[in-house]
Amino acid sequence: MRYDSITEAIGNTPLVRIDPAVHGLRHIDLYAKLEMLNPFGSLKDRAAWNMVRPGLAGAAARGETVVELSSGNTAKALALIAGLHGLPFKSVTNRMRIPEVKDLLLLLGAEIEELPGQSECLDPTDTDDPLTRFHQELARPGSSHLHTDQYFNPLNAEAHARGTGPEIIADLDGRAPDWFITCVGTAGSSTGVASALRAHDPSVRVVGLVGQKSDFIPGIRTLDEVQEVGLFDPAVYDTIEGVGADEAVEGMVILLRRCGLLSGPTGGAAYYGAVRHLRPLDEELTERRTAVFIVCDRVESYLGYVRRIRPELLGRPPARNSVATLTEAEVRAAPSVGVEAARAWIATGQPLVVDLRGPFAYGALHIDGSVNIVDELFDELVRGGLPFSRSTPVLLACPVGEQSARYAALLTRMGHPDVRSLAGGIIAWRDAGAPLVRD
Amino acid sequence: MSDAPLYGEAPLHLEPRLDRRPAALLRSAAFLHTLVDALGSPLNVLLPQQIADNAEGFDAVLRRHRLTGRLYFAHKANRSSALVRRLTTTGAGLDAASLGELQHALASGFTADRIMATGPKEPEFLWLAARCGVIVNADGPGELAAAARLVRACGLAPLRVLLRLSEFESSGARMLSRRSRFGTPVKELGGLLDVLERYRDALEPVGVGYHLDTVGLDEKATALEGCLRAADELRIRGFRPFAVDVGGGFGVNYLAHAAQWERYTAELTQAVLGRRAPLSWGGYGYGLRAENGVLRGSLGLYPAHRPVAGPAYLDELLSRPAPGLGRPLGTLLLESLCELYAEPGRALVDQCGITLGRVVEVRDSGCGEPYLVRLAMNARDVSLEEHGVLLDPVPVPRDRGGEPAGGAVGVHLVGNLCLESDLITRRTVFLPALPRPGDLLAFANTAGYCMDFTATRAQQQPEARKVAVWEEGGSWRWRLDEEYWPLDETGEQQA
Repeated sequence: MRYDSITEAIGNTPLVRIDPAVHGLRHIDLYAKLEMLNPFGSLKDRAAWNMVRPGLAGAAARGETVVELSSGNTAKALALIAGLHGLPFKSVTNRMRIPEVKDLLLLLGAEIEELPGQSECLDPTDTDDPLTRFHQELARPGSSHLHTDQYFNPLNAEAHARGTGPEIIADLDGRAPDWFITCVGTAGSSTGVASALRAHDPSVRVVGLVGQKSDFIPGIRTLDEVQEVGLFDPAVYDTIEGVGADEAVEGMVILLRRCGLLSGPTGGAAYYGAVRHLRPLDEELTERRTAVFIVCDRVESYLGYVRRIRPELLGRPPARNSVATLTEAEVRAAPSVGVEAARAWIATGQPLVVDLRGPFAYGALHIDGSVNIVDELFDELVRGGLPFSRSTPVLLACPVGEQSARYAALLTRMGHPDVRSLAGGIIAWRDAGAPLVRD
Repeated sequence: MSDAPLYGEAPLHLEPRLDRRPAALLRSAAFLHTLVDALGSPLNVLLPQQIADNAEGFDAVLRRHRLTGRLYFAHKANRSSALVRRLTTTGAGLDAASLGELQHALASGFTADRIMATGPKEPEFLWLAARCGVIVNADGPGELAAAARLVRACGLAPLRVLLRLSEFESSGARMLSRRSRFGTPVKELGGLLDVLERYRDALEPVGVGYHLDTVGLDEKATALEGCLRAADELRIRGFRPFAVDVGGGFGVNYLAHAAQWERYTAELTQAVLGRRAPLSWGGYGYGLRAENGVLRGSLGLYPAHRPVAGPAYLDELLSRPAPGLGRPLGTLLLESLCELYAEPGRALVDQCGITLGRVVEVRDSGCGEPYLVRLAMNARDVSLEEHGVLLDPVPVPRDRGGEPAGGAVGVHLVGNLCLESDLITRRTVFLPALPRPGDLLAFANTAGYCMDFTATRAQQQPEARKVAVWEEGGSWRWRLDEEYWPLDETGEQQA
């Protein structure tokens, strides 16, 4: 397929049936609308393009910056579209909670502004919310911004009323599904798709999914947070149900491991919420029905998120040459040397002095003649084998002599005949009045 | 949305989190009534043993990160003598923010090496601080120069100073922070160092620090890393800094149940949007408001349920990777041979005190509105509302035999001032039963800022007295706060 611009590739995403053996629903065909296959990677491509397109020519003429309150996919799509049209993009956000997305936005050339956290010493007279301040700034005379305003802009929902919704109907051979299940973020996709489906068949039931209050699921708002969204209208949804972060990841893992879908946690939440909502209904059914949920974006950005909340999903057995495999007895038996003895040894035996601290601390003050191999790098090195010749004596130094003892034990086990740990570390060295230099 | 509400209409409780000591105290109704009968309402009751336990909690975090350093109790959180005197017997220090607090610390047994003078300083405060040689946490170049001139004029030993910095710059994403009245912007560090060089004989910079008014860990991580870089600047200029001061703001978890807090705030949102009955006097929204059916404003409440607070918050900060240098902040401190200083206030007096008020009148407002319960105290005596801390008072009934009447009941707690706004709680509080005159209501966990920070003698109403209580041989003992020393009756130091 040939296009003049990547923006033409937005939309027309596949609708893929989920194998009934996976979800276990006997009378309901469950389909995933794969919005993750949009060119910028998410459902938000449609809204971003639809919101920003009318203003692009004017913004370019006036040299304006595209601005949005977003910490995720909308910012990503807008950053790419802005770049495509030679405009700068600024994302303002309460908190970038997904570091991978933050780095990606910076790589895309976006400017990111993070709003301050809540005050610890509360000032009850200060009730200006970040949104109000943000809008005041945009409304200031001379402000040169094209604000896409995703939480209030009707063009957000319109993108889905004209695109996503009709595509679903077309792919279901001209019929609306019996259920449409969606996570609520800006409410743009749920509002837009619901209006298109209901215009076609008013009996469509719409299930909105929100995050549990204590949990964080990227891309989904909690029940309180959706109230701040201009596009959110409770009447759109037949039911609003909560999903937890664990449940979202559980759903995501099923999509990843059983369905061949590289879905992120929002899609996982939609799948989990869909099956949970449909299962009891399915048991009452006698004829066939259809349900559609949305897979919003892809998994790759959320590896850190998964590592945080479900580390065992990424678990690997420890490597052979790893300090994690040492016994306490091995560590206690590690050869070590006190500050005075170490000074004498350096003068006579000329051991290689390896400082395991970070480069910042090493740069500030270190033992004269030492080499800096930061612990995480050292750890990588020793996994592959001894990084020093056996004939070179080695003195390992860390802040308090704990880490260096572990590595001395490990290197000893790996067959190094003369590796010693500086007892008490650099701190003991300093406290003993031994010299530290800054090169 | 379906008709069934997501949350039910049952009474909305915000049950305070109570450690063993305050929980045991609140079960000792007869003892508490005796105290209030003798000393009047309101009455502040302090648990000095608790502050020692709390200090140990912070020390344990330092040990876990292999760090040395010192906690300085931010005295402004509470004026009690008992707490300060009990703290002298631990390893902690004290952060004095006024001449009076410095005098109090010295008079309570703190030696100068364990005191830090912080905040804006009047000449007398700076004079006493320099005279006795406490660490001066310096707000700016003017204060440094003034301190140095004092040292020279009086021929004092070099004064230990710590530089309070602000407006740290982040790389990558721009992190906005609330503007602060205090500290020196980090980009003006050079000027501070010039002053230090000019007075090399009189000032000894021990380190740098920050104090940010935010619950946000990211802002603090940026500031801590900025301090490490600033300490390096000091080293380049030939000074020997050895401490980084991470200020305070570690927070307290006030509530026993996360679910209650979530349910309450969700229902408050619904109430502000007019989708349920109001939850407060006059429909007050605690900063939230409805505009065209959309929620605006922000919730002006202390996040009363905080799963990560106090020592755990410090642990989290130290475990967090530095935004620029990448390694965990605790590791960077250790590697940079820096000690950690911190000034917890609220977090160090967590669970250290309760405030008691006697019920004077219970009035049925008729028309199905909540009852009005008037207490012999006012909103300034227990400034929970002022600090946005919402938690339920614990009823301490006067034992009259028989079961209390009725079931859970919604009330508004009003104070003893002849002032419409003297509401001890603006929200509707659900008590397990309707209280009766003579009963006590206990406000839990008020020792941090909610006890005497705003208390006045307006309308010549009495200011609360303070008593220190402790357990001994299975019963409660008490002394007036000013009579408390950490000694037993024979003059030996308490265990």
